[in-house]
Order: sequence, then structure tokens, then C-alpha cells
Amino acid sequence: MSLAGKKKLKLVILAVVMGIIAIVYVYPVFLMFINSLKPFGEVVVDVIALPTKLEWANYTHVIDKMSYGKLFINNVMITAIGIVGIVGFSSMASYILSRRRTKYTRLAHLLITTPMLIPFQTIMITLLKVMNVINLSGSRVGLGIQYWGFGIPMAAFIYSNFMATIPKEIDESAFIDGASTFRTFRSIIFPLLKSVTFTVVVLDVMWIWNDFLLPLLMVNSSNDTKTLVLSAYTFVGQFNTQWHYAMTAMVLAVLPSIIIFILLQKYIVEGVVAGAVKG
Amino acid sequence: MGRNKKESFENVLFTIPSIIMVTITIYIPFIMSGFYSLTEWNGISKEPRFIGLENFKTLFSGSSEFVKSLIFTGKYTVLFMIFSNVLAIAVAVALVQKIKTANIMRGMFFIPYIMSMTIVGFIWKFIFSQGFATLFEKTGMEFLNWSWLGERNLAFFAVVFVGVWQSLGFYIVLYIAGLQAVPKDVLEAATVDGATSWKRFFRVTLPLLGPSITTCVFMSLTNAVKVFDIILALTKGGPGGSTYSATLDIYREAFQNNNYGLGSAKSLVFFVIVLVITQVVLKVMNSREVDL
Repeated sequence: MSLAGKKKLKLVILAVVMGIIAIVYVYPVFLMFINSLKPFGEVVVDVIALPTKLEWANYTHVIDKMSYGKLFINNVMITAIGIVGIVGFSSMASYILSRRRTKYTRLAHLLITTPMLIPFQTIMITLLKVMNVINLSGSRVGLGIQYWGFGIPMAAFIYSNFMATIPKEIDESAFIDGASTFRTFRSIIFPLLKSVTFTVVVLDVMWIWNDFLLPLLMVNSSNDTKTLVLSAYTFVGQFNTQWHYAMTAMVLAVLPSIIIFILLQKYIVEGVVAGAVKG
Repeated sequence: MGRNKKESFENVLFTIPSIIMVTITIYIPFIMSGFYSLTEWNGISKEPRFIGLENFKTLFSGSSEFVKSLIFTGKYTVLFMIFSNVLAIAVAVALVQKIKTANIMRGMFFIPYIMSMTIVGFIWKFIFSQGFATLFEKTGMEFLNWSWLGERNLAFFAVVFVGVWQSLGFYIVLYIAGLQAVPKDVLEAATVDGATSWKRFFRVTLPLLGPSITTCVFMSLTNAVKVFDIILALTKGGPGGSTYSATLDIYREAFQNNNYGLGSAKSLVFFVIVLVITQVVLKVMNSREVDL
């Protein structure tokens, strides 16, 4: 066999082996899906077998029981509030932090990015107390606002690193044309930051959408404010022997992420890589 | 003068929302933790009672749950870092070859990473308890019949395994990006010089992968020390405290035992340990990177 042929054969073998590994790797996710579509008896008898007939009743039951529609809206609302604040405030701050070097901006930079070193668990106990005092606990809007504080340090860090690559001449020419600082930022700089904004949005949507501990502390007391993951956690706890319902609740909790990931895989992976490399 | 004043005003205006938010959510609670760590307080009584460094003495006394939870967290972190990085490099090296389906496979490895860790914990709880039972009946493989969540050592490895499974895809995509940045001409030069593919990998690729390794090792470290959701869903710290992590201990002390003072003391000790370890690791990693 020729050298090229040998190389090709090696690649085919590698592709097959990696394909098998990848399939085994996601098999647990597949198991969750098929078991969510079986009646209880079939789950107990044989976990691996495909459902003999699709039991959609599991879904109607769980959607109704969890009030899935409401949870979904809660999640969208909390995530949206969080993202808008993080992107708006941190990009604005980074613009000034990287363009103007004064004593004040140096101090501000330090204040804004240092919290990246503090693990959430270090402050969670007293955080709850502070949020009770200023009335940000127990509500979806309040939770969304709290994400600003936790998301800004990292986002400002990523934005500041990128700002350095935008030539100063661009904003100077805008000033000469008479634009105010805010206008220059909004109409000229912010659009140039598009790729970083995208990175920040990807990272923070994944984080806020799936976050568990902060919502557990802040919005777990009422069914009206719960998030998808929280509700799935409670639900699985209650139905931990009725695996068919538990599986359905779990599928419902992760399905939005999986659909979005399949649609936007390329962009999401790019965003995650960019965030880690710049962060 | 007028312009300078206006600029200073703008500097404050643009940065103040961020400063206020991090102050409220992070600095104020952090300072309060410092205060409460010196008190005995159950969260209900009005006045916390000042007891000096008593809480810190309790933490490190012989029978302390906290010390055990730190040891677990340390062991978990070391294994998590080794497995995530070694496996991710191996998979990444395979996926940067000219395989048509490489992107689809990359996506498959990434899927667990986009799912909530709590749900991942539940999926594996189901598989360890129900799935393995069925598989054992069908295949008769003995390890499927072991009590993966019920026996101390096995539960420890089960937790590490699930943690790695959840986030491996993240490290894989970072290493793929790193490998794609390794210059082709350097590798070709090595081939011309007669280096075998193993030699090429260990002598050329791996050293040039330095920045990616630093990023991934650092991130796997900071993620592993904070392990919480997966354990809460999978084992709740059991059996017999064998998977009881430091973060879980802080959570329990404060929100279940209502010892806010002791919990705050634990959270501060945790902060200091994490800070020291991450800074040391970062220094060591950075000093070992090779420049091209």
C-alpha cells in the first residue's frame, strides 16, 4: 500500500474510533430522552430499550405540574435583565478605563475587576442578608439585577483587553466632529465591540440560564419566581422514584439549551473559546 | 480647566454603575463576612454575639467536618484537573486530524457542558442506580453491579467521573483552538528532521501548547474547588461524608444548621486557601511557558 493510502486508512480508523467514543459519550443524554417517553413500567423493567410507544402523556403531565410556561418566562426574564445590565455597564466602564489613564480610572479598574478572585461561596451567606435589606431577594427582577454585580468583573476585564486594540484615532475624529463622549461610545465604539459583546453574551447566557446556587438562595421560596433548573431540582426530589416524570422534567429543563446549541454550535464554541483566551 | 472637570465627571459617570453593583453584591457582603466570622449568630436573634477568634479555633479542631471537606475538595480537584486536561488533550489531538465529522463530534463532546450541572448530576444518579442494573443483567459485567453511589471510594470516583464528563467538552474546544494555532512549518521541520509522531507531539506540540495548558489548568482548578451542584444532585455529600465538599459544608453550616458566624468563618478560610493556591499555580504555570 502507498504511503498516502496508509495515511488515509489511519484517518478512517481514527474517525470510526472517535465516532464510537463520541456516541458513547452522549449516550446518557440519549437515555434521558428515551426514558422520558416511556410509561413507568417500562422504565423500571428496561432502561436501555427504546420505548414501545411514545408516552407523550408524561410531558403534558409534567408541563402542567411544573407550570413550565411560567418557568420558561421567568428564566428568559432573569437572563435578559442580567445580560442587558452586564453588557451595558461593563462596556461603558471599560471604554473609560482603557481610554483615560488617571488615578481615578486606575482605582476604578482595580475595584471592578478584583472580585473575579472572590469565590461566590465566600460571600453567599451575607449576600442573602444584604439582598433582604435592599429588597432584591425573592423577585425575578431583583435576581436579574444581582447578576450585574457578579457578571461585570469578568465582562469588564474582557472588554478592557479588547478596547486596547481599537485605535484611538477613531474616537478622536468623532470628538472633532463634535460628538459627546457618550455619543462616541454609543454610535462608534460599541458597534466596534460587537465580537466581544457576542462572547460576553454567550458566556453569561450559559451561566445565568443554568445557574443553581444563587437562584436557590434568592427565589426558591415561591413557585412564581422559580427558575427552570430550580424547579426541576425540586421536582426530581419529590418524584425520585417515579423516574419517568423525573426524566421528563430534566429533559424540559435542558431542552432549550440543547436546541439553541444545535442551531448555533459554531458561534457558541467560538464565543466560549474567545472568552477563555481573553479572560 | 473646564474640560478637565468635565472629563473627571464623565470618568465617574461611566464607571459608577459598575462600581456600585460590585460593591453591593460583592464587597459589602465580603466585609460583612469578615465581621460575622468573629461572632456567634443564628440569623434569628437580633444581635450577633462577639466571640473573637473562637470560630476559627472550632474550624481546625480535631473532629471538624470542615477539615475533612477541605481534604475531599483537594483530592477531587487534583483528580479533576488531571483527568480533564489529559483526556481533553487526547481527544483534541484526534479531532484536529483531517476527519470529516470532526465538528459534529466536537459538538457531541460539548453537549454536557451546556446542560445545568444539577441535571447532569440527576442523569448520572439515574444511570448509576437504574441504568447500570439493566446493563448488568444484559452483559454480566461485574463493575456494573457495584454500588457506585453507596460505597465510599466508589462514590468518590463517581463524583470525579461525572464532574469530568460534564465539562470535558469545554477543555476539548480550548485545546483544539490551541492546537490549530501551533505553526505547521515547525511541525513539518520536525518531520523532515526525522521525528516520529510521538516525539513530535511531546517535543514540539506539547511545549507550544503552553498557553492553552495554562488557561485550562487554571480554569479546571478554579472550577473544581467550587464543586457544588453536581454533588448536591448526585450524592448530597454521602455516603458517610465521602463526597462532602467545602462549598457544601459552608452551605450546610449557614443555611441548614443556621450557624451564620461559623459559616462565615469557613467561607473566609476557603477564600484564603483558594486565593493562595490559584496564585501559586498561576505563577508556576506562567514561568514554565515556552516562547516561540
